Amino acid sequence: MKHRFTFVLFTAVVLFSMMLASCQPPAPATEAPAAPPTEAPAAPPTEAPAAPPTEAPAAPAYEPMVVSAENCDYGGEFKSIEALDEHTVKFTLCYPDPAFPSKVAFSVFSIQDKDYLDANQGDSVKMSDQPNGTGPYKVTEWKRGDSITFEAYPDYWGEKAKTKTLIFRWSAEAAQRFLELQSGTADGIDNPATEDWEAIESDANLKLYPRDGMNIFYIGFNHDLDPFKDEKVRQAFAMAIDRQRIVDQYYPKGSTVAVNFVPPALVPGASPDVPWYDYDPQKAKAMLEEAGFDFNQEIELSYRNVVRAYLPNPVVVGQEIQAQLAEIGVKVKLNEMESTTFLDATAAGEKPFYLLGWNADYPDASNFFDYHFAAETNLQFGTLFEDIVKEIRAGGQTADPDERQMHYTKVNELLKEHVPMIPVAHGGSGTAFKASVKGAHSSPLGNERFSVMETGTDQLVWVQNGEPAALWCSDETDGESLRACEQVYEPLLSFVVGGAEVEPALAETYESNEDLTEWTFTLRKDVKFHNGATLDANDVVATYASLWDASSPNHVGRTGNFEYFTAFFGTFINAPK
Amino acid sequence: MAQTGVISQKAEAIYERQSPAREALRRLLRHRSAQVGMALLGLLIFVAIFAEQISPYDPTKIIKESKRRTPPCIHLLGCPKDQPQHIFGLDSNTRDLFSRVVFGSRLSLQVGIASIGFAILVGGVIGAVSGYVGGWTDNIIMRIMDVLMAFPSMLLAIAIVTVLGTGLINALLAIGIVSIPRYARLIRATILSVKEMEFVQASRALGASPLRLLVVRILPNAFTPLIVQGTLGIATAIIDAAALSFLGLGAEPPRPEWGLMMGEEKNSVFNAPHLLIFPGLAITMTVLSFNLLGDGLRDALDPRLRGGSAS
Repeated sequence: MKHRFTFVLFTAVVLFSMMLASCQPPAPATEAPAAPPTEAPAAPPTEAPAAPPTEAPAAPAYEPMVVSAENCDYGGEFKSIEALDEHTVKFTLCYPDPAFPSKVAFSVFSIQDKDYLDANQGDSVKMSDQPNGTGPYKVTEWKRGDSITFEAYPDYWGEKAKTKTLIFRWSAEAAQRFLELQSGTADGIDNPATEDWEAIESDANLKLYPRDGMNIFYIGFNHDLDPFKDEKVRQAFAMAIDRQRIVDQYYPKGSTVAVNFVPPALVPGASPDVPWYDYDPQKAKAMLEEAGFDFNQEIELSYRNVVRAYLPNPVVVGQEIQAQLAEIGVKVKLNEMESTTFLDATAAGEKPFYLLGWNADYPDASNFFDYHFAAETNLQFGTLFEDIVKEIRAGGQTADPDERQMHYTKVNELLKEHVPMIPVAHGGSGTAFKASVKGAHSSPLGNERFSVMETGTDQLVWVQNGEPAALWCSDETDGESLRACEQVYEPLLSFVVGGAEVEPALAETYESNEDLTEWTFTLRKDVKFHNGATLDANDVVATYASLWDASSPNHVGRTGNFEYFTAFFGTFINAPK
Repeated sequence: MAQTGVISQKAEAIYERQSPAREALRRLLRHRSAQVGMALLGLLIFVAIFAEQISPYDPTKIIKESKRRTPPCIHLLGCPKDQPQHIFGLDSNTRDLFSRVVFGSRLSLQVGIASIGFAILVGGVIGAVSGYVGGWTDNIIMRIMDVLMAFPSMLLAIAIVTVLGTGLINALLAIGIVSIPRYARLIRATILSVKEMEFVQASRALGASPLRLLVVRILPNAFTPLIVQGTLGIATAIIDAAALSFLGLGAEPPRPEWGLMMGEEKNSVFNAPHLLIFPGLAITMTVLSFNLLGDGLRDALDPRLRGGSAS
């Protein structure tokens, strides 16, 4: 009896599980038809109803948009941005800005379709699902964690992409990137490891494209946090680091020890006559003792294990710094963090001691100074040093190069006095491509343009260091994201391929008044977005407004910080108090 | 004469059979793989104890005069005398690799023994309670152990480290926790089979307390399988600790932990293989020694295999 009962129970369980199993296939089937209807209506309404309104007013009467600040007291650079007619945009600035064309050419200020922006309410994450730009490539698929596939955009206004399909992949391991290049599964890689340079140069099938060190690797302090509240402590640390040794040992050729925060090529900006502290561990130790530094505490040195041109091997350099500080009796604990978390934490001012660097976005000292030491949303060094901010602002608003250099020399002196960071190196780096790739290059700004490259097949695979955080970059700071965006979106102006000079992009021509306070851009007439909309001046105004106007419904982004905008152009208007 | 010799030998053999522990030791010493295992382990323990005397440099000190990632230079094998001798070469931070590998033996042995010790202690208590009390308690405890075992052990260890935070101690704890169920089951099984035996009943009839019954009468029976499992477990624990460190979840730089050393240099397989080969060899040797010894112990101690295996 007992056995019979168990048998019946067992049979029942088996039958039940079979029923469940047989039910499963229909389950997705019932879901599958359900899913498209919910999605399908969602997509068309955003595009379909959006299209008629733009066309309808555009044809009979074009209504030019204007965004303006009441006056210039709010602290930012823009006074007003207005569409004069369908193809002309005028920027009025509060003060002269000689670097304005370079700033506008930066890919964070790419132009988006106004209706698309409104439909997605400026949400970078939403807009990354179906990126819509004007560039030579459009995104067909972003497999998160795996790859991004781009396809040549047939209606591109300029020279169409030479290779039909472009694939972005990423790997944090230099050895893996190199292996992919060697085995032929990748056509190009970013930042080959210092140790692999020789192997690439000796391989006839591969070619190395060195990139100049227009960057800075620094050891950052947050002077709001212990134990770095004391200026003397920071100065002592600056003397305790043997920067020459770090560059000699861990950087590829073409790298230099940093004298200032700004690379020596950027003049006005760099001051070779304001050298950094000499390496002097004895004096450093004496200074720490004098300042009452607690040698028993363990200081956390944060870094991200992400290879950049400015820091080719973070873990090893971190240990080197740890060992150097151990020589004067300072205990350091290494704290490796995930890249995005690390960047957000430093920018929020939560990390007292960290390794970070900066790659130039446009070749001007203001790109280095403004973001780091004069942007209110960036708390990575703690509260801003008022005296430094004053000089940086003055330098950024001066047109005369000599006068500008005077301000920047003062900045360099103050940086040496306050030591918000220790400038260590300007790292040389490079890209490597198969020798057969025509048009391959590396760009000093890290913005390689793949539309000019030709592999001979219809596909180009590029392996970079990391995955982009979003595919709409108005609120991004990471070069890995920007490079992906640069293939899809275009700003008013752009940089020449492989160089740092400004050339026209969406704007055919531009001119300014003599004070450099009024800039007028004339747009190309035949530019179409990937979603079919035509570019007009309102798109430009709306895009800039989404960044500049904190009360705009499109002022969303990914984190909402818009660090680049504030670094380049100062504060937002209508910012909540 | 000859006959008496044979007889005395037999007598000796019979005498020896009377002490099981001695018998087991004799089997162990004769066991070929156990011999190899013990030799390797002996060497390892020697190196760990005398690490300071053996290693020529401080394992965390950066040697400023030399170039990093220098391949091994041994004077005896023809390396020019004007170059400083580094038997295993220098690592990416210009530290002497040989000293690091030598000091790594300490960490690995500590981690292996401590984590398994922890697992045996906790698992033993859990298993003993579960087996002795029985009933619902047993059922609940064992189902929890089953759940623990259902996770892939490495994954569970990673999850635990993520919660506790990285660090060698936490990695050690994680590995210990992951291995608890194995020992809990082992002890419980022994207790279940022994608890109803006559000598236990007799002791109980004489009025022994449950604790005394458990500790004095029952648990000693679990000793043999525990030693075998424990020895093999140490090998797994060392590998797991190295794997966690390799992933950056175990020991923190600049500690000379073998797994960490390999993890840091994983990109150097082609351009500086010595940085991976030596720590890798060290791990292999250690794990091999424990595995061989464990096998030998099992053969020597397990009554069911007795007789056939020593040949």
